[in-house]
Amino acid sequence: MTDPRNSLPLDLTFAAQTASVDAIQRAAYRFSDRFSCELIPGEDEHRCMLTAVGDDAVGDHVADFRTEVLDQALRERIRAETEPIRTMILAHAFSKTGVVDPPDPT
Amino acid sequence: MSPSKFKEPRTYQAESDDWQLLPFRFERMDGRVLVTNMVGEHLFLEDAEFERLADKSLPVDSPLVRRLRAKHLIRQPEERTPLSLLALKSRTRNRRLAESTGLHIFVVSLRCEHSCPYCQVSRQSQDRDRYDMSLETAERGLDMAFRSPSAQIKIEFQGGEPLLNFGLIEEVVCEAERRNSRFGKRLGFVIATNLALLSDEILEFCARHDIFISTSLDGPADLHNKNRPRPGRDSWERAVEGIRRVRETLGVDHVSALMTTTRASLDRVREIVDTYLELGLRGIFLRPLSPYGFAIKTKSYSAYEAERWLDFYREGLAYILELNRQGVDMTEYFSSVILKKMLTNTEPGYVDLMSPAGIGIGAIVYNYDGSVYASDEGRMLAEMGDETFRLGHLTTDTYEEIMTSEALLAPLEESFAPSAPMCSDCAFEPFCGSDPVYHYATSGDFLGRKPESDFCRRNMAIFRHLLDLYENDEAARQVFLGWAGR
Repeated sequence: MTDPRNSLPLDLTFAAQTASVDAIQRAAYRFSDRFSCELIPGEDEHRCMLTAVGDDAVGDHVADFRTEVLDQALRERIRAETEPIRTMILAHAFSKTGVVDPPDPT
Repeated sequence: MSPSKFKEPRTYQAESDDWQLLPFRFERMDGRVLVTNMVGEHLFLEDAEFERLADKSLPVDSPLVRRLRAKHLIRQPEERTPLSLLALKSRTRNRRLAESTGLHIFVVSLRCEHSCPYCQVSRQSQDRDRYDMSLETAERGLDMAFRSPSAQIKIEFQGGEPLLNFGLIEEVVCEAERRNSRFGKRLGFVIATNLALLSDEILEFCARHDIFISTSLDGPADLHNKNRPRPGRDSWERAVEGIRRVRETLGVDHVSALMTTTRASLDRVREIVDTYLELGLRGIFLRPLSPYGFAIKTKSYSAYEAERWLDFYREGLAYILELNRQGVDMTEYFSSVILKKMLTNTEPGYVDLMSPAGIGIGAIVYNYDGSVYASDEGRMLAEMGDETFRLGHLTTDTYEEIMTSEALLAPLEESFAPSAPMCSDCAFEPFCGSDPVYHYATSGDFLGRKPESDFCRRNMAIFRHLLDLYENDEAARQVFLGWAGR
């Protein structure tokens, strides 16, 4: 039987400077089999209300969730930093296959 | 003094004091961090090493920088070679996409003399008119197959039990060979049969046309016969005798076997592997039970616990590795496919581990009644009344209409892993694939919610297990390198 304490929402906040809404959403998706996340974005901080969806208490996953948010913030930075080079590599890879649009003459 | 053939060591030193990140993904794994580059080459880093990579505090002359450069995870500014190599490897990994459909499955009869409880499709019927494919339908199937741009066409005959309509198989093989004299494609044939109806005449025809046999073998006699009831209760005896005769007549490499895992299999993986070995089969595919069709109806899927299957897989793999250490050549095929993706730039073309998914563009199914399905599993769903993956009909639809149908394009697009939530930043994604039919069958949409997906959970567990063995068990590493290189 589910412990009624598990169904109580748990409040977390993240400094907006260190974690974007996108990073929090991506992290929350990875945990969506364990808790749902209501995200309230703010200028200085983002607030998350976590509610268990299974038998586990939300509190059991908070530390992992915080780590995951940090990892997602890092992934976001790597993505942004390497996006132009990734596009260049893929364009180079498929430039002779006939599947890439020719450059616009204008 | 003659000039040296060797350059000064400083020639190979870093030209710059700086380095830049190349695209990579990471996952934390047992206290370390797995990092994969954009073509799936991997490296394990200690936490502290990863932090120094992430905050870019590594000196350019550190040994770790050399390891990271070797794996195309970083480069020096203006360095072009890593980009060219990544482009070349990306192109190699994706080269199958331009080829399009290579496997064409002809369901020549839905009839079968077996009555397996988990079988999704077969019918116990004598009604040939109703459940056998006609020659006209088969010829339209050949029209489709030869429209494929693929240089390699494999025609696989399935059922039911395809040998119940062997006359049609003979006609299709001869007609395909006749047509191919014009096309010059690499043409091959496979019959997926339980072998119970194998005759000398069938074997002679197979020998003349270089036809391969794929059969079913679930393990020891009692397990196999329990899974596969037929009149006489002798399915295993007939399969074993058939395997022996095929090996003798067509050659040892012309027969392979697939097993179906049931709850009764889960505690018997060593016996199952031993049965394969005793029959001279040097490979086994430790398969999970599919979630389609009658398997759902009979509750055999819901009773199936993903964790128990993983234990079954791990135990089987450990046993197969132990056999290899003793000098016995034995391969676990699912691991082998994944290792090929992990350790080489070859895309093995295994339909369930491709992205875009392999449905339609990797394999396509022509059903006995002329309906065209995106995959065999799509056909199984249709037998349960859900025609989501029906692409059209051989009589009424053209090749272009079928290959550009919304029923094919929507699941391909929606399930594409590199743009799927969670998959897009998963370090295991280069080893994995999209399976829109599985996710549709289990969760009702083509993509599925990955945190709740057994497909995702099972594959991640297998990737972690294989990487763990590869990194920490030298004997396993050598076996894995052998499997990946085949």
